[in-house]
Amino acid sequence: MLTYALRRILGMVPTLLLISVVCFVVIRLQPGSFIDQYLEDPRVTRETVELVTRQLGLDQPAYVQYLTWIKGIVTEGDFGYSFVNGRPVSSLIWERLGWTVFLAVLTLLVSWAIAIPLGIYTALNRYGPGATILNFFGYVSLATPDFLVALLLIALVLNFGGTNVGGLFSPQFIDAPWSLAKFLDLLNHLWIPMIAIGLEGVAGLMRQMRASMLDVINQDYVRTARAKGLAANRVLWRHAVRNAVNPLISLAGLSLPSLISGTIIASIVLNLPTIGPFLYDSLLNKDQYVAMTLLLFSALLLLVGNLLADLALAWADPRIRFE
Amino acid sequence: MTARPAPSPAAPLLAALTVSLALCAPAHAQANQSRANVPPSLFQTVGKKGGTLTLSIVSSPQSFNYFAVLDNNTYTVMNNVLDRLITLDPLTNRLYPALAESWTFSPDGRSATLKLRRGVKWSDGQNFNADDVIFTLVDVASNTGLRANQSAVFKIGKDPLTFRKVDAYTVRVTAPKPYGAMLQALTFVPILPQHKLAKYQPLRDPDGFMKAWATNAPLSEIVGTGPFMLGSYTVDQKVSLVRNPNSWRRDPRGTQLPYMDRLEYLIIKSPDAQIAAFRAGQLDSAPITGAQFPDLKRQELAGAKFRVIRGIGLNNPPVHWAFNQDSRDANLKKAFSDLRFREAMQLAVNRERIIDTVYNGLASLPGHGVAPISEWYTNTRSYLRSYNLGQAGVRLDGLGYRDTNRDGIRNFPGGGPNVEFNILHAADNTIMPGIAVILQSDLGRLGIKVNLQGITGSTVLPTALAGNFESVLSTFGDQPDPQLRKDIWQPGGALHYWRRSLQPAQEGGTPNLAAMTPAERRIHDIFAQAEALGNQAQRKRLYTEWQWLFARNLPVILIAKPDSVAAFHDRLGNFYVRDNRVISSNYSVFEK
Amino acid sequence: MTAIPSPAAAPATPRATSPLALALRRFRRNRVGVVSAWVLAGLYLMALLSGFLAPYSITAQHPDFPNQPPQRVRVIHQGQLTRPFIYPVEKTRDPVTFASTFAENRERPLPILFFVRGDDPARYGYNILGVFRSQWHLFGVPQGTAFLLGTDKFGRDLLSRTLVGAQVSLTVGVIGVLISFSIGIVLGGLSGYLGGWVDGLIQRTTEVLLSFPRLPILLALSTIIPARWPSTWVYLGIIAVLALIGWAGLARIVRGQVLSARSVDYVQAARAVGASDLRVVLRHIMPNLSSILIVTATLALPGYILGESALSFLGLGIKEPMTSWGLLLKDAQNFETLSLYPWLLAPGLLIVISVLAFNFLGDALRDAADTQSR
Repeated sequence: MLTYALRRILGMVPTLLLISVVCFVVIRLQPGSFIDQYLEDPRVTRETVELVTRQLGLDQPAYVQYLTWIKGIVTEGDFGYSFVNGRPVSSLIWERLGWTVFLAVLTLLVSWAIAIPLGIYTALNRYGPGATILNFFGYVSLATPDFLVALLLIALVLNFGGTNVGGLFSPQFIDAPWSLAKFLDLLNHLWIPMIAIGLEGVAGLMRQMRASMLDVINQDYVRTARAKGLAANRVLWRHAVRNAVNPLISLAGLSLPSLISGTIIASIVLNLPTIGPFLYDSLLNKDQYVAMTLLLFSALLLLVGNLLADLALAWADPRIRFE
Repeated sequence: MTARPAPSPAAPLLAALTVSLALCAPAHAQANQSRANVPPSLFQTVGKKGGTLTLSIVSSPQSFNYFAVLDNNTYTVMNNVLDRLITLDPLTNRLYPALAESWTFSPDGRSATLKLRRGVKWSDGQNFNADDVIFTLVDVASNTGLRANQSAVFKIGKDPLTFRKVDAYTVRVTAPKPYGAMLQALTFVPILPQHKLAKYQPLRDPDGFMKAWATNAPLSEIVGTGPFMLGSYTVDQKVSLVRNPNSWRRDPRGTQLPYMDRLEYLIIKSPDAQIAAFRAGQLDSAPITGAQFPDLKRQELAGAKFRVIRGIGLNNPPVHWAFNQDSRDANLKKAFSDLRFREAMQLAVNRERIIDTVYNGLASLPGHGVAPISEWYTNTRSYLRSYNLGQAGVRLDGLGYRDTNRDGIRNFPGGGPNVEFNILHAADNTIMPGIAVILQSDLGRLGIKVNLQGITGSTVLPTALAGNFESVLSTFGDQPDPQLRKDIWQPGGALHYWRRSLQPAQEGGTPNLAAMTPAERRIHDIFAQAEALGNQAQRKRLYTEWQWLFARNLPVILIAKPDSVAAFHDRLGNFYVRDNRVISSNYSVFEK
Repeated sequence: MTAIPSPAAAPATPRATSPLALALRRFRRNRVGVVSAWVLAGLYLMALLSGFLAPYSITAQHPDFPNQPPQRVRVIHQGQLTRPFIYPVEKTRDPVTFASTFAENRERPLPILFFVRGDDPARYGYNILGVFRSQWHLFGVPQGTAFLLGTDKFGRDLLSRTLVGAQVSLTVGVIGVLISFSIGIVLGGLSGYLGGWVDGLIQRTTEVLLSFPRLPILLALSTIIPARWPSTWVYLGIIAVLALIGWAGLARIVRGQVLSARSVDYVQAARAVGASDLRVVLRHIMPNLSSILIVTATLALPGYILGESALSFLGLGIKEPMTSWGLLLKDAQNFETLSLYPWLLAPGLLIVISVLAFNFLGDALRDAADTQSR
């Protein structure tokens, strides 16, 4: 198992390199460059434009730019400079990472905590009215785009005279030190993004869990366990649920990169200080090293997520062996 | 403060006073009657101190260094911290003293002497003087090593202006040739503190200077003469500014400005989230467009605690429709280069409907290269023509664009292929796709097939500049002085993208004069002559001729100029409309 | 077997019916599933006949009626029951709020006629299956205009655009799911079953594909796809792009399932007795996967329908003047619309209905295919 994990980690290196090349090519495919915005400004001369181009190394051929960047990462751990902010990429990402991770992990936890029990419930009571109603709401939330849900929620809050319409805090708490009032204010703002972003995940997970659960319940070993006279609860949790969760573990591994690129539009509508809109801006501004670093980071998260999912799968399901 | 009489009876008197001031006082002479040292038009009434003003910016500032980045968020924030030598009166758009208290312009139009305001202190208590001005103008603003330097406005042709310190409070600007836009150029440059920034040696180490005042720099290092100074910055959420205790600005009663204790900018990306925050009372003012006006106005009338106003702005960018006259497609190139074809296209532009449908009626007919409220404007409205598809069809028939293969679409003359072209436009705003759909529909009725090519807004201009388009809907903001838009409208200019073949073979060279049409040649010469004239009346005559040439020769077809609309909270005073101008400033608004 | 019906034969009947018939019977017992199937059949029929059902051509702009609210069909005029009719409306712009308001003219009822042929091809023309031109419509108001679902800001009939938009929206998901599932199942299955270097290769490919940055790819594509491409090409291009990006996640799920199914006793037994790989996969592993595939497919469908609207937002995607529900809904996503023009949300309602129907149908199919449940 350890050697397997090591082999996989080593295998990531060429994959990451390949992905970084693809990302670089794709970013360069878009017309124009970071410099273009300078052309439009009446105060900037052509001379300056050329100078800036040279300063940023944009006069070099694309492959040289790429290799210089990769070399910086490998030799000095330097992810390059942001054209836009004039600061190292890593410090810019670092100061935005906190809230991003907080929101992503919280959303993930909330959606799993709600979805798994609901999935089990709807599987066990398939034809009950409760399950039908839950299914109905699950599907409706799937069918509405998250940013529309966000917009509707904000409109609703506004109509009731509320002020918690976006962001994580009321303006006066943003730069205030932590206090109980600030924490309560956070909770008061947090429920909107949880509903808007988390709901879609809940519906999807609930569906998967239900299907998986139904598969497992009728498997022979579950029936055997039941026939053996094990307590119904024990059968349910030790045998059925544990096996039914397996397919969802693969999904969880895939959801790690959404930390960065997921829900960009909803984050913009809800004004959340996450890294998604930052990535979007860097792509539009062609701030190439910021965009590249974020995309590479997202790819790395995916690979790590995949590996963790595979390892967790092996742990949860001893029938899977790695040769 | 408590002894002051109630403001209401004084208000009409004051209004009368400020109007008379605006009319009779020459910009460089301070009137004695009022103790205000800022444009009197900012005051509808005298305000009172206290309170917090909360506004929004769309993205985190990229830096606090004005000359290191091209970023409107940086500018919005730093314009409260730094001052210019000369500003514009928001009512008249004329020059108004700021850090320069007065100035004289030499009769030959080649030099200006500026007297600096005495007793001004930086927010850290240091004195402001001519050394700061010279440092800013010479070491920073004209320093081509800096990314956002402003050397372009400090040059006539290729020759730079020179700046000289006469004494501690006098500065002289000299040009090698007469330069009419010299003082206008000074309104762009915020003055930086030499004592804080000279140590970065911008001339020797531009890279090092651009890293100064980055967004993670200690805020106490960032000092200015402006009404506010930086207080705190929370990444992606908020920039807070506090009153500058050393502010030199005074209201008509001599009270120190700003009125507000604090100024906060919430960072809110999406226009919808901004409107939501505004309606929830978190923002005191929100930037809105014509699309949002009816909804908010209706809520105002229904008793909401905000006001929505409209006026006519100078800079609001008018939309134009440009044809690539160097198109790779020979047929299109021939059609687009033909003035008669472009005239037929203009007849198919239903401006009335576009203004009504796309702008909700909150836009007006555009000028040609100059805003209709500008003092440089000449009325070229008759050349906009009115919408007439029938006549457009007759013109096209006359030019030979007839439907020869009877498939419902006109053909190029002599049995060529169908007349079909793309309109490139920004897909991610509310205005451009609307105009594009209306043009597509009307041209369709005229027998011309139009394909819409919607792309991300920020890539429209780069794509057009690269010549990668057939026709495009785009915008350029108007400026107070036509000289400042020379790169766009002078044939051969860097932004004259619909005629790229006129641009110089190498950067900075002479444009391709031989390929110009007579009208283009004349426009080129007009800009070259006007640039080197100090006499404003002569410049005005030349720019008037240019506007007529523009209107008659349609290098691009102008569509509409949006109005200024603004929404602000009821509790704000000195946020108002006068003579169709929306007037407010962060230091003169106050909490009622 | 025997032609003589006998009481004894009755219990034997289920054994004689095929698994398919059994599944069908179980499906029929699920009322929600059956209703969903009918709703979907109705929606697809609507999409097929949309040109005829729609009163106007989708490109017909009525400049005098921008953002007009839905008109009501009435049957009582001045206290008297008559044939269905509508009152004409007139637009005025409020001088203060700049909002347009529409007033009904109660004097002049305009009768709604059925099976009418419109005169102006630009206003009434449409294509049937891309071949025949027609100007016949199910209903119309020749003496005026009738916008039963209101209009958009260009004065285009929302009902017509919604009906015709169904053609794109209802097919994009199905075709997309078909493409991505065929790739995903085959490659995921191979990867899980064969293992070894095949598994390694396919897994690396999916990893690269999954970590492909969607946003920059779409931004780049939006500038690369030629504007002159006919709408149908663009439409097919979108499906292909969505599907080619979309298969990797499914391949992983399938692989995981195959991995665990492979080690199940009966599969190992089948391999031990020398069953061919193909037979093992088709007969023993695939049936185990069917339920999770159906659920994943029905879950993927709304993603395609909504994904198409996200593409429209980026400029890649269905282009004006063609239409789709996603494109229509995109116009409705702001506060002004929610409060001033709420009828523009109507296409969203159809998205919800169709997605609901797909999901409930998927549920019912899953339950019906589940041979082990009682």
